[in-house]
Amino acid sequence: MRSVVMLAVVMVTVAGIGPLFAPYDPTAINIPNRLSPPSSEFPLGTDALGRDILSRILHGARWSLGLAFVVSLISLVIGTAIGLLAALGGGLTDWVTMRTTDSFLAFPELVAAIVIAGLTGGGTWSLIFALAVTGWMRYARVARGIGLSLKTRGYVIQAQLAGMSGLAIARWHYLPSLLPSLTVVWTGMFARAILGISALGFLGFGVQPPNPEWGSMLLDARVHIRSTPLQMIWPGLAVVISVLAINLAGDALRDALAEERDGP
Amino acid sequence: MIAALAGLLLRAVVVLFGTALLTFALLWNSPGDPAQAIAMARFDALLTDDVIDQVRVEAGLDRTFWVAFLDWLGPLLRLDFGHSSVTGRPVWPDLSNAMGYTFPLALAALVIGIGVSLPLAYLATRRPGGWLDRASVAVATLGTAIPAYWLGLLLILIFAVHLAWLPAMGARTPAHGILPAVTLGLGVAASLTRIIRSGILEARARPFLPALRRRGVGSAAIGRDHVAPHAAVPVLTVLGLELAFLLEGLVLVEAIFGRPGLGSFLVTAIMARDFPHVQAVVVLTALIFVTVNLVIDVAYRILDPRIGGRDA
Repeated sequence: MRSVVMLAVVMVTVAGIGPLFAPYDPTAINIPNRLSPPSSEFPLGTDALGRDILSRILHGARWSLGLAFVVSLISLVIGTAIGLLAALGGGLTDWVTMRTTDSFLAFPELVAAIVIAGLTGGGTWSLIFALAVTGWMRYARVARGIGLSLKTRGYVIQAQLAGMSGLAIARWHYLPSLLPSLTVVWTGMFARAILGISALGFLGFGVQPPNPEWGSMLLDARVHIRSTPLQMIWPGLAVVISVLAINLAGDALRDALAEERDGP
Repeated sequence: MIAALAGLLLRAVVVLFGTALLTFALLWNSPGDPAQAIAMARFDALLTDDVIDQVRVEAGLDRTFWVAFLDWLGPLLRLDFGHSSVTGRPVWPDLSNAMGYTFPLALAALVIGIGVSLPLAYLATRRPGGWLDRASVAVATLGTAIPAYWLGLLLILIFAVHLAWLPAMGARTPAHGILPAVTLGLGVAASLTRIIRSGILEARARPFLPALRRRGVGSAAIGRDHVAPHAAVPVLTVLGLELAFLLEGLVLVEAIFGRPGLGSFLVTAIMARDFPHVQAVVVLTALIFVTVNLVIDVAYRILDPRIGGRDA
């Protein structure tokens, strides 16, 4: 648990204060200096419009990591609500919600996100919408599974008989059991959201120029692969390092939880 | 078994219908005037309102939602995908042409993915915790964090730009397919290696293996008859996810390498608001996905008779 909290703090910090260390304005066009190689003036070089790549990477963290964080939290809330609705509603509610979940799962998430983001006009809001709408299903399944197992537990039934309100039961009996597993799912979905945002940016359906986002930076860099190949290294590296860090934290968390449950 | 199969089939049909309805509703309610987008894509010029209205009637955009949905669904059940609203040509020939580029690529990627991950996972588990094991886990972990579009660009940089061994853009010769297939295949291999490795390790830890050994069963026979089927169950579970990864990767890889496959077909159709084309790709993808998952569910029951259903 601690590792994931630490990770979230570090990521938010990087996205929050990273831009403060940017030497230049990430959107400042400087045509005479276009496509210049790394130098003391521009540590990672400049892009086709002469913009400083280091500044764009640092500002890009706010877009790539920040949006992924928002998207994964929105789908966490949607998914948990749907999963608990299915578990507690039971019967027809359960059947309908779970078949809806199946329908959403019956389609590669990223392809669905491309279709949705593309048809809702591109840009940041349709990006958030597209990724949140296609990212809640795993939370729903996990929340439903845990909800079903809790529903018939003695202490939950006793709490109900004792007149505890539904909200209080959710807060004191459901949330503590849901949190660890949902956090594991969340780390995976956070990483997926980073990949999704940069993939959509790379296809041109994501964050729109001139905003610096790692995927759309790759799209810009791709044209200049022969003249300035280094330009496409940096944004990709930023994506890989972020995703790797989150995945490793998720793995560590999952192992720690398994140990807690099964004993060392 | 028959009842279970009928249940799975019914579920697949419900899911397919749901996907078709959701897609249609999404397209129908997407912002902007599709008639205008179609007119732009077709004539590439600014047009007067009455021309756009003519396009609207021709593309059937003046109907109500349910009429339009049923008009689309009916022919679809006879595998008639209708006509492109941009070119006016039937969807199917163009779609099958695109599939002709995509399926061989997907197959090659799958072969590369399994061909790399299976031996690697096997070698890694010969000495769990050994250097080979740790190295393969490290490489696989790194591999799952590398997005397909970046790996593709790196491979272009190395093999097409620097070494000039392979062509990068287009799909004219089979050689043009090598870099895309390797890009996708390595991504598949990265996630499969981890799953197969832990599958083998879990199967080896089963308590009946020492008993078999004590009864004098040879280690080759144990591996083939007891470890392999147990290791196959978790692998089967992720094959469905792997297919999703493959389809997602295809869209990106086709965009990087400029291949005229299903992914490029979809991206072009979205840009031009060619609804019949978008619908066709979405329905086809869902059909492939649901069919493969149905096969996996059935294979599951055969491999492990105790399982009633994956999410039971």
